[in-house]
Amino acid sequence: MTRHPPAIDDESLIAALRLSAGQDPVPAHVSAAARAVFGLRLPGAATARPVVTPAPRGVRSADEARLLRFTAAELTVDLEVTSMDGLVDLAGQVSPSPEAGTRVEVRTLHLTESRELSATGQFAVTGLPPGWFSVVCHRPERSPVVTSWTRIRP
Amino acid sequence: MASEAPVSEQHAIDAVLAGDQAAWDVLVNRFSGPLWSAVRAYDLSAADAADAVQGAWLRLVESLHTIRDPDRIGPWLFTTAKREASLLSRRNRGERLISDPAGTEHSHSDPALAGHVHPDPAVAVLTADEGRRLWLAVEEMHEPCRSLFRLMATAPDAGVHQLAGRLGMPSGSYGPTRGRCLNRLRTVLTAQEATP
Repeated sequence: MTRHPPAIDDESLIAALRLSAGQDPVPAHVSAAARAVFGLRLPGAATARPVVTPAPRGVRSADEARLLRFTAAELTVDLEVTSMDGLVDLAGQVSPSPEAGTRVEVRTLHLTESRELSATGQFAVTGLPPGWFSVVCHRPERSPVVTSWTRIRP
Repeated sequence: MASEAPVSEQHAIDAVLAGDQAAWDVLVNRFSGPLWSAVRAYDLSAADAADAVQGAWLRLVESLHTIRDPDRIGPWLFTTAKREASLLSRRNRGERLISDPAGTEHSHSDPALAGHVHPDPAVAVLTADEGRRLWLAVEEMHEPCRSLFRLMATAPDAGVHQLAGRLGMPSGSYGPTRGRCLNRLRTVLTAQEATP
């Protein structure tokens, strides 16, 4: 690859050819979803970013469940993702243990599920549609923490 | 689908930051079509392409406040969408991603943080005139490139097997031939730019 940076890459050239040929217009539902994305913004929220987790300890095999960890300045969200029949189940742990009244929202492009956190910081949501999701932690009198959007396809 | 309306006014971006849905819709209308073409070029299914485009918009919502220069929004969106598309495409081809132990696509996907925004994603700024010039260049190419590009552009859902069959070549030859034709087209375009 001795290509100079300004040179257009293969995929961009293909895209330009297709775009100007006009034979593959963007589906209406894709544009509609993009407009709806704006309703999912959370001004003032702190973003918890994904961190690479070490191989899980214990008996569970990483093949059965995907383990994800997101960290913000003062909060960690651990997620265990499993899928069954094309739908996604999430089991989560917020640590350190949050104050009483903390609520968690699991958001997808299509629906949002709200859960009260257990005293030990756990929550679970089952039967989510595959695709993009994000978890919001609403704490009393503090700004929310939101995990960055993550895509899951079984 | 190519549009010449610039969305570079600072006040438009300020309106988006202030929560103006109409200003956001202007961004969506401007970039949806080109973004779709950009990710479909990675040979993604419609469902995967929709995921890649959605991922770019979601990350923009997440990162909007960090993008100071409104002119960077287009390049930022394209860089992000192309990265998502590339990840999906590699995953579909069965490549395990070392940085992706969970089988999900989320890490290192923020080009604003990584500092990898492409300065000039041609698709983002493709005008109708440039599109016509592109196809004029294709029409002057020899076979099989001319037919390959026409077919590729008009049958976006055709697989490699089908495309190769219609071009009368073995499936294994399609990819390399397409690569050579793209190189040739790129050379023609570069020469045109040098002598306007």
